[in-house]
Amino acid sequence: MDQQAAKPDIGQELPEVKKGPVTHTQLVKYAGASGDFNPIHTVVPVGEQAGLGGVIAHGMLIMGFAGQAVCTWFPRKHLRRFKVRFAAMTRPGEQISITGRIIEQVTVGNEQRLRCEVVARNQHGEVKLKGECEVAREEHAE
Amino acid sequence: MSKDVSRLIGYEFEPYRFVVERGKIREFALAIEDDNPIYVDRAAAAAAGFSDVTIPPTFPTVIDMWGGPDFFALVEALQLDLLKVLHGEQEYEYLGDIYPGDEIQARTRVADAKTKAGTSGGMHLITLETRYANQRGETVLISRSTIVERF
Repeated sequence: MDQQAAKPDIGQELPEVKKGPVTHTQLVKYAGASGDFNPIHTVVPVGEQAGLGGVIAHGMLIMGFAGQAVCTWFPRKHLRRFKVRFAAMTRPGEQISITGRIIEQVTVGNEQRLRCEVVARNQHGEVKLKGECEVAREEHAE
Repeated sequence: MSKDVSRLIGYEFEPYRFVVERGKIREFALAIEDDNPIYVDRAAAAAAGFSDVTIPPTFPTVIDMWGGPDFFALVEALQLDLLKVLHGEQEYEYLGDIYPGDEIQARTRVADAKTKAGTSGGMHLITLETRYANQRGETVLISRSTIVERF
């Protein structure tokens, strides 16, 4: 094992992933793709009746954005665990960015993993979800 | 008004099946606007160590929503107030690869249910754990969803 393998870059910031603005069309597409047809995500009058002032994005869509970011930072093959807590609703027009940071190295079974923080925010810095992922370390995966 | 949600712990839903389809994976990646080629291009997936295209990390929601009880059925089974329910947390543990053609059987049970008091009202937190096995009986994924009901 070389020196670099022994010392991951704890605290390292992972490159920000910027998504395009969430659109009504995207919410319709995501409803169909995911099978989540709760009308508060797609039908404006229902969202208004529910007191939301319109439709809100599926939380899982925003987690999907975060999952996309995770798999740009690390190989998909190395992803072991991914967890988020939903913090705020997202509406059409909002633009989500995902940032991450390597927190620590952990050993699970025989595998060394990196544990990373993952945060999704809108263009004003409002946190939409916060979570973490665990990925097998490159040198040890498989 | 509070109620005793701990009685829900251990409740098991009817198991459900879902066949993973290539087109469904592509549709899901397109909806997220996730342009990672490993979800649509076999050669790219092979280069990333997969034997075929694989699924995006949050694809299991497709298995649940299309294969399992929908949100309304869940809320009814757990006797929750639809208008006060939120998806609080979501966790996935990835144990094995999932590919097009895989026949996934999912079993969901209530792993935890508790009540938290707050200054502006309390909440019930109900955690559903789903285990997903493929056609060879290998558990390839575990999901934990925490549903929040405010009161």
